[in-house]
Amino acid sequence: MKLNLTTTKRGSKGLSPQDEDSSLIDDEKREKRKIGFGFWVSIGWMILVVIAAFLAPVLPIPDPDQTGAGGRLDAPNWDNWFGTDTNGRDMFSRTIWGSRVSLTVGFFAIVFGFAVGGPLGIVAGFFKGATDKFLSIIIFILFAFPGLVLALLIISLLGQTLAVVCLTIGIIGVAPVARLARAITISISEREFVAAARILGSTNRRIMIKEILPNVTIPMGALAFLGMALAIVGEGGLAFLGLSVEEGFSWGKMIVLGSASRTLQKAPWVSMFPIGIMFLTVMSLNYAGDRLRDFFDVREMGIGGG
Amino acid sequence: MGFILKRVAQMVAVILAATFLAFAAMNSLGDPLFNVVGFHASVDCDAVLAGEIEDVSGQGGTDVGDCEVVEAAREKYHLNDPLPLRYVRWVGDVVQGDLGVSFKNSMPVTTIIGNRIPKSIFLMVVAEIFALLIAVPAAIRAAYKANRAFDKSATVSSFGFISLPNFALGVILFYLFVVKWQIFPSRYEDDDFFSRLRSTVLPAMTLALPLAATYFRLLRTDLITTLQEDFVLMAKAKGLSDRWIMFRHVLRPSLFSLVTVFGLSTGGLIGGALVVEQIFVIPGLGRTFVEAVIRDDFPLVLGLVTVISSSFIAINFIVDMFYSVIDPRVSRET
Repeated sequence: MKLNLTTTKRGSKGLSPQDEDSSLIDDEKREKRKIGFGFWVSIGWMILVVIAAFLAPVLPIPDPDQTGAGGRLDAPNWDNWFGTDTNGRDMFSRTIWGSRVSLTVGFFAIVFGFAVGGPLGIVAGFFKGATDKFLSIIIFILFAFPGLVLALLIISLLGQTLAVVCLTIGIIGVAPVARLARAITISISEREFVAAARILGSTNRRIMIKEILPNVTIPMGALAFLGMALAIVGEGGLAFLGLSVEEGFSWGKMIVLGSASRTLQKAPWVSMFPIGIMFLTVMSLNYAGDRLRDFFDVREMGIGGG
Repeated sequence: MGFILKRVAQMVAVILAATFLAFAAMNSLGDPLFNVVGFHASVDCDAVLAGEIEDVSGQGGTDVGDCEVVEAAREKYHLNDPLPLRYVRWVGDVVQGDLGVSFKNSMPVTTIIGNRIPKSIFLMVVAEIFALLIAVPAAIRAAYKANRAFDKSATVSSFGFISLPNFALGVILFYLFVVKWQIFPSRYEDDDFFSRLRSTVLPAMTLALPLAATYFRLLRTDLITTLQEDFVLMAKAKGLSDRWIMFRHVLRPSLFSLVTVFGLSTGGLIGGALVVEQIFVIPGLGRTFVEAVIRDDFPLVLGLVTVISSSFIAINFIVDMFYSVIDPRVSRET
């Protein structure tokens, strides 16, 4: 047995002797500089999904609610690429239409989480002291609820509309976003250009918007991808609890419908195609987010809850 | 000691704040009486009793008699008191182990939760055990021979499992093992320990695989980082065996982020358990919760939120304490 002893130490600036053979850390560093081919494949898939969702009304596909677009529970064939469900509705068309709700939730939840959590975190990290204490306590209490429990509570109180579902998942996102924004702000506000702006007489508000915000936004982009993946998954989880949007259908709701024992036995494709498409989308978002995070070298990506 | 006391006080404060938030939200946004008096709860009874309005519903439904029922119920549940007072009274009851009575079947909430909670806890414990049993050996093996075939394939598949939502994994496992191959029962069997374990394997796997993937990635990275420390080189130079170095010198300092995430992931696990219980029809807390929410069973929902978030906070507290066991410097720093 031989231990994989690599000689360069992470973080040490060339103090340890460099070895000839490339160690793992070196490999990782080399990879870090390039964002990689996989990143663009992921982005490509996402663009494809988004375009399909936007163009759903004009695409030459059957109406998603039209019964009898094929037989009942037909296996995938040339007319119905993803087969048909118990009511003979075309699953390919439904998967495309279902993406509209899922992507809407993913997008707007993240927009809300960033719009609220970002400023919270920046303000907390910038002013420190009492403001920071107070805001940190709020963030801490938000973290005290397991995500889905909080979602269940809010949706049961406010009703099962698309707006409420987006809002709810957005609220869950506030705490992690705020925590990361705070951490980045704290590290940035020590930097020279902030001090320079202050000496030049900039107001706090100006410093936060002009100096800190742009520097926080870029590394947070990685979190946006990861968060969107979590939001899409979260909507699916709500669907399984019967608490997703009441009108229309999403990937989550399609998977729920397809996972009834009898349907699963006779026609696994009814649930497996939405699962597959959702999986690819979530994986693309995760991968792209991961690559961006490595690329910008963002640490402390705490995304708790689920 | 002072350190521990401070953290306990902090934990209690957070639990109080969290339950107050839930209590206030449910009282102001929901209608706690709806299940007791039905439609009449939403009627402006003061006006009816004063004789100002006679027939509010327009169907001849609400009269003075109905409103007396509403008033009696408001009196009984102390709904005329201000919110903070009601919260304090509620906390007083909770401390004495009284979470109220379910609107649905008049059973004490504590009894209902007491009946259901063991199944959920069992599920989560088995899931965590599975996750650790998969992740720790895999991470050690992968880090030991980093960038070899095993490491690469494990890293890639762990990425896949992280991206597979637990309900999707649940449906896939359910399809393969219950519907297609019929290895596991389709209903939750609870005759003895063995049958319970058998019924728990699949749902626990559903929770464990994504979790194991997260643990694996963390531990692998940390192990590789630790392996580059000078003390490992030193141990190697002393002629200690690789096995000894790995388990006695490297593993313990590498456990830090694993322990953190172990705590954080319980939140996700609780949420995941709610969903997985739906898929595998397990009569645990999750199903109770969903049913209570749908029926607007106010005391039961509040009781469940209290129990779930308190245990979540408590688990994170225990994890926090555990740090100081792994790394004694933590307690001295704070």
